[in-house]
Amino acid sequence: MKFFKLVRRNIFRNRLRAFMTLALMAVIFFFVATLISILQLFDRFEDQGQGANRLVVQSSISLANSLPYAYEQKLRAIPDVADVCKMQWIGAYYKERKNFFANFAVDQDHMGSVFEDYRIDPAEMKAFQDDRQGCIVGPELIKRYNWKIGDRITLKRTIFPYDAELTIRGVYHHPVNTAALYYHMDYHDKALPPQMQNHVNTFWLKIKDPSKMAAVSQEIDGMFRNSADPTETVTEKQFQAGFMAMMGNIKLLFGSICTCAVFMVILLAAITMSISARERVTEIAVLKAIGFERPLVMTLMLAEFTLLTLLGGAIGVGVAKLAYTIIPMGQVTQGFLVGFTIFPATMAVALGTSILVGLIAGGLPAINATRMSVVDGLRRVV
Amino acid sequence: MEPLVEIRDVHKVYRRDQFDVPVLNGITLAVPRGDFLALMGPSGSGKTTLLNLIAGIDRPTRGEIVVDGRQISRFSESALAGWRARHIGFIFQMYNLIPVLNAFENVELPLLLTKLNKKQRREHVETALRIVDLADRMNHYPRQLSGGQEQRVAIARAIVTDPTILVADEPTGDLDAKNAEETLELLHRLNEEFQKTIVMVTHDPKAASRAKHALHLEKGQLAEGHYGYDAEKAADA
Repeated sequence: MKFFKLVRRNIFRNRLRAFMTLALMAVIFFFVATLISILQLFDRFEDQGQGANRLVVQSSISLANSLPYAYEQKLRAIPDVADVCKMQWIGAYYKERKNFFANFAVDQDHMGSVFEDYRIDPAEMKAFQDDRQGCIVGPELIKRYNWKIGDRITLKRTIFPYDAELTIRGVYHHPVNTAALYYHMDYHDKALPPQMQNHVNTFWLKIKDPSKMAAVSQEIDGMFRNSADPTETVTEKQFQAGFMAMMGNIKLLFGSICTCAVFMVILLAAITMSISARERVTEIAVLKAIGFERPLVMTLMLAEFTLLTLLGGAIGVGVAKLAYTIIPMGQVTQGFLVGFTIFPATMAVALGTSILVGLIAGGLPAINATRMSVVDGLRRVV
Repeated sequence: MEPLVEIRDVHKVYRRDQFDVPVLNGITLAVPRGDFLALMGPSGSGKTTLLNLIAGIDRPTRGEIVVDGRQISRFSESALAGWRARHIGFIFQMYNLIPVLNAFENVELPLLLTKLNKKQRREHVETALRIVDLADRMNHYPRQLSGGQEQRVAIARAIVTDPTILVADEPTGDLDAKNAEETLELLHRLNEEFQKTIVMVTHDPKAASRAKHALHLEKGQLAEGHYGYDAEKAADA
């Protein structure tokens, strides 16, 4: 600690350069934290089904293709299947297209059994089940649109040829999925023209013994292999990953941008630190002359460089955290980034990266500056 | 008087690109404890190199350097750094203070390597600054001090650990006549009053005249018969 004053003073010895470096670090780490958080949001989305004892049965052709209701009874007949819940992606919007969020038609009588991780007040659940036009919503939507239980809302048509007239009957709670809407499968089915009725795009299965999920999956796909609508049965995690893959390899893109940004900041920081180290060759020689050993001088320089990058990183991450607390990203991105924030894990990764940037960028200048002999260092000015 | 520094047949050769440049050629010398020795000579004569060897910031190519009974030319880098911290006080021509630290903090710097606590360090620093008559400037940064004051802070930094030897490389080279005289007076006092052994490199015969002895180097060798200073001759020059 007795050397901290020297380290701190050296950080701000050239104030303009220090503030420029801090600003550069802050801006880049703002974006790095943003991108890492988006990636983590995707991971959370993919992982929400991890460990769950659920299988998703969908058309093997594509998710846009439907499966007949008749499959439900055959799925229920499988001994290891505890329950089945039909679910249909609706893709409607509220009032204007910018008010988009995930909305589904769901088998209201089996939802609570299959999706045990969704918590809802039993009275609200009953009200939802008893009202054919009832729906349940996530707390994020309640907050975003200032809804309350009992409100009547209309979802405008996109894929299906009807507008859904609904009444909010309850609010569900889930650790990841906080902004979706679910309404009755019966209401959806009756609103469709006859040729589209009795079809759904996914069956969600609750499996009695999770260790048998692979076997059940094979059994189901084998059962429908030679039918007009062959199936592909996957785990919930695989299903979410497949859903994400529909957006293209966005994770690779964001990951690449992150890597480039960090690489760029390392180069820029290394240039700044090299200049700073070169300016101090004589001072370093003086420190060594009066008895500071090379490892100590190098440690002091690295501490200085690392504190600078850490400070810049912390400012960037802090501003990002504040910004995304104020800005409703779910609304701004029309439902794409629902529940977006700078996660604690992101903060840890970003701050760890900023320390790494300081060590990598400052390592070579510190080694070079301290490697010079005392005599050569002193000769620089004389 | 018992020699504090013994230099035995020391050679120093620098390698510049593919050429060997001999700087010191077989120097043998003994500096008594409590001496104030001036090393004089033209540029390139090897006086600063000799000073650097005595101070342990450079190593001889051949020969032995014994300071206070210890052969420092055989020390490892790390041992040498520790030895310098305890035994050597440096005074440079350009003062070489750390610009981001104030006078107090600059003087305190060598004490950070010791086990002294904060209070003890403060006492040592205040004593050193009082000796150089800068106790009232301890919160000033180098840019807020005159050249002479900067050099006095540098001297305080050099003496704060109570080193065995003070080495001074052209300590008045960057000062005007008045400040140069004050600096020399201070060095003289440190030698007389505090019995500090001082080895000083200088071009200036006036500065050398304040030393007890002067040695002349010519082309890496000691000029014969010059251990002792001829003040009259210097004054004529």
